[in-house]
Amino acid sequence: MPEPTYIVLIKQVPDMDEVEFDYEEGRVDRSSAPLEPNPFDLNALEEAVKYKEELGGEVLAISMGPKQAESTLKDAIARGADEGILLHGREFAGSDTWATSLALAHAIETAGSCDIIFAGEKTVDGDTGQVGPEVAEYLDIPHVAFVSDVTKRGEKEIQVESETWGATYLKSMNLPGLITVTKDVNEPRLPSFKDKQRARKAEITTWGIDDISIDPDNLGVTGSPTRVANMEVPPPEERESLILREDPGNSVNQLLEKLDLGREN
Amino acid sequence: MKDKVIDKLVSIAGEDWVIQDLDKIEGYLYDETPEPASPKAVEEVVVVKPKDSEEISAVMELANEQGVPVIPRGAGTGLCGAAIPTEPAIILSLERLNDIKDLDEDNLMVTCEAGVPLESLFEAVDETDHLFFPPHPGDEGAQVGGLVVENAGGARAVKYGVMRNYVKGMEVVLPTGEEVQLGGKVLKNNTGYDLMHLLMGSEGTLGIITEVTLRLYPEAKETATLLVPFENRHDAMSAVPEVLKEGHVPLALEYVERKLIEESAEHLGKSWPAEEGEAFLILIITGKNEEEIFDKSETIVEVFTENGALEPLFAQRRKEQESILDIRSNIYTALEEETTDILDVTVPPAEVGNLMDEIEDLAEEYNTNIPVYGHAADGNVHPHIMNVNGEAPEYFEDLKDEIYETALDLGGVITGEHGIGETRIKNLPMALSEEERVLMGKIKEVFDPNGVLNPGKAV
Repeated sequence: MPEPTYIVLIKQVPDMDEVEFDYEEGRVDRSSAPLEPNPFDLNALEEAVKYKEELGGEVLAISMGPKQAESTLKDAIARGADEGILLHGREFAGSDTWATSLALAHAIETAGSCDIIFAGEKTVDGDTGQVGPEVAEYLDIPHVAFVSDVTKRGEKEIQVESETWGATYLKSMNLPGLITVTKDVNEPRLPSFKDKQRARKAEITTWGIDDISIDPDNLGVTGSPTRVANMEVPPPEERESLILREDPGNSVNQLLEKLDLGREN
Repeated sequence: MKDKVIDKLVSIAGEDWVIQDLDKIEGYLYDETPEPASPKAVEEVVVVKPKDSEEISAVMELANEQGVPVIPRGAGTGLCGAAIPTEPAIILSLERLNDIKDLDEDNLMVTCEAGVPLESLFEAVDETDHLFFPPHPGDEGAQVGGLVVENAGGARAVKYGVMRNYVKGMEVVLPTGEEVQLGGKVLKNNTGYDLMHLLMGSEGTLGIITEVTLRLYPEAKETATLLVPFENRHDAMSAVPEVLKEGHVPLALEYVERKLIEESAEHLGKSWPAEEGEAFLILIITGKNEEEIFDKSETIVEVFTENGALEPLFAQRRKEQESILDIRSNIYTALEEETTDILDVTVPPAEVGNLMDEIEDLAEEYNTNIPVYGHAADGNVHPHIMNVNGEAPEYFEDLKDEIYETALDLGGVITGEHGIGETRIKNLPMALSEEERVLMGKIKEVFDPNGVLNPGKAV
């Protein structure tokens, strides 16, 4: 029987605590902050590595993005992935979740057989939570989203707790299948210095559109049915203080007036 | 407190800024000294919050005139009881002097008022995007003036030094009310006695610092945190001088132990990332790019591995680095409730392994547990004397004296960070010669002839 294969979908994102917004373009300015693996994807990777530790097999990390996303795949290797594949090329740029999922599904098919696909519940820069389930739909395999605990790791079946609609569901899924995980599912381990060093020298395989046999018309802006028309960031609210003491009898009215709650006489 | 004093304070600072209600002054009575070791604060105090040095000057004149003690107060994050009133007094809070006046990017200096919280200073410096204020003594609520008069240290003193190394200028209201300006934006100054350095570490006994000019440094573009596990305390501490000797000076080099750090992590709802090892060194490595960080880390890891380290872990993501430091910074908070006193003995850096061994022997002798953590590369560690059944143990003073004697025998000092204040006055004779103490007393007399500024503290 062949060794099981686990695929982790991983995206490089800017550190959202430091990122700035490009108001004119209506998007996050990726160059304004250090880039790192999407935090939820690290939980997904950790879960894949746990599966591997328990049942053996290989962990394959796949990312789609610019050349610099290689560093995120190298980080994944330091944290326990065996191999990293980057989907890269100008045709991929500007893809929405629909086109991204299609590309990832093609890549997974190209990679060969796969037992479980792990993804983060969402990315911190896109926040849609759509890519994981969409990939599963393209591949026509079952999926469970928002997994907060993996209660049984099996070769043919996985049992998980999923946090959906304000409740916790215990679910069993036949494999192959896909799960998206929340941050509660585990605490991603810190890599050892030795593994980080080894991973820096690791070779990352790069695949273009020809490698995954995909029609470029289904990718990028042309292949994306959604558009970000506009983005607005609400301005931070300023705090103000007010001390009323000159005319105590009238201070309630003064306060109401200040709060714009006063009734017109 | 005499009505006359209160009336005068009101006329100086205004009614809103003179506080006598007990429920409102409670927050101004204590500092962070663990309760069993802390002096009891008297409640016959009045809190005044002047807005500038002129008002402070007027308060000092009043104090001299009426013979009322004045206790200057920052955020109350000190650990030696220096800000605790032990007799009826005016507590002079510097909280309203909270303006960052000048961030001079050409001279790499920042000038700010004494009541600026460390957190605000960090934020302002961070906004320049290229400058850095290295010291991090712990609680970011601490105020700049307090950091200077306590000559605070903390984790990030390895590379650039303690507070004293950053202060280049200050404005001070003397105990008799006169205002003086010392130093300035200069890196060299040989004009007369260095009164500024006398003020640093004076614990509010020689003057009230109202404004300081601090040196800044260029910010390192990249940082990483190495977490190095060891089987035991001795191995970890003995490895530190080996790394320093090779010429590697990290931004911080901290020592922690499993039981403590796990308690602290739990306190924060986190978990400690290292699975193996009982004793850990945490190093912050800085560099201009990733290449440099890896090069430095590689040689440091090599030295540690030759000296008995287990597999070091490596945090590069900002959040992972912050999490490790956050857990480290919270040890004291996690232990506080069970602590009789937190000590801050400091020995020559190469002696820190011997200090740890002797503390371990003392713990055995007293049949107790002495948690220890601290700033390994500075030779400065924090042994905690723990409560027994919720109270200070009978042997508290004896054990404290023995730990102090141990540090002194190794060529060290009884306090490297927290200062003398109130809680360590009785230990001064073992640490300073009579000649030194007499000199210090005379200096105090020259600055404060009527003895009104923080009397009964430090000297």
